[in-house]
Amino acid sequence: MDSTLKLVLQVIALLAIVAGSLFSLIGVLGLIRLPDVYTRLHAAGKVSVFGAALLVVAAVALESLGLGKALVLIVLLIIAGPAVSHALASAAYRTGVPMQRAARDDLAEQRGRPLSSGPRSADPSSDLPV
Amino acid sequence: MDDILNIVIVAALIWHAALLGVALWRVARGESAVDRLLGVELVSVLILCLLVLIALFTGQDLYMDVALIVAALSFIGTLALARYLADQRMF
Repeated sequence: MDSTLKLVLQVIALLAIVAGSLFSLIGVLGLIRLPDVYTRLHAAGKVSVFGAALLVVAAVALESLGLGKALVLIVLLIIAGPAVSHALASAAYRTGVPMQRAARDDLAEQRGRPLSSGPRSADPSSDLPV
Repeated sequence: MDDILNIVIVAALIWHAALLGVALWRVARGESAVDRLLGVELVSVLILCLLVLIALFTGQDLYMDVALIVAALSFIGTLALARYLADQRMF
């Protein structure tokens, strides 16, 4: 019984390591191949939320390395990844990084700016919280 | 089974180290400041992956602590730098 449980945990760890490595590959591939910062953010977010979190799951399943610390690490990764992506996208938009092949820009219409405009306007009312 | 796992862990270590090199190259020839900052964030996440894999390989709890610290510090650092880029001030 005990050896069966160990085998199941080892298979789970194996699958988690392979899946995490594949997610890391997808993220880095997207970082190289995608055309602009906004699409690259979409790819790089996968690495922290899926790639690293699956590796931590493997660490817990295989060696039960600090279950509490691993849980804190997974929660931190899942909260921090999207927050960082949001902050970087906001910074990119406000510093005027252009979009490639943008179909629409709702924020520009709302703020009366042309599509993919230049540097941030000096109008203080246009400030968005980061 | 243990042999297979060890081989997979070492392969994943080499794999993530190679991806780390690619991400560093991306930081070196980024197009804008935000692009480079995104690369730095990805580098820190890949370092975290490497630390977790080293913890798996050696079976030592210590490396998970280091991974936790790296995650917390890179999160705060990237948020502060993104705000600095957008606002030209941090607070």
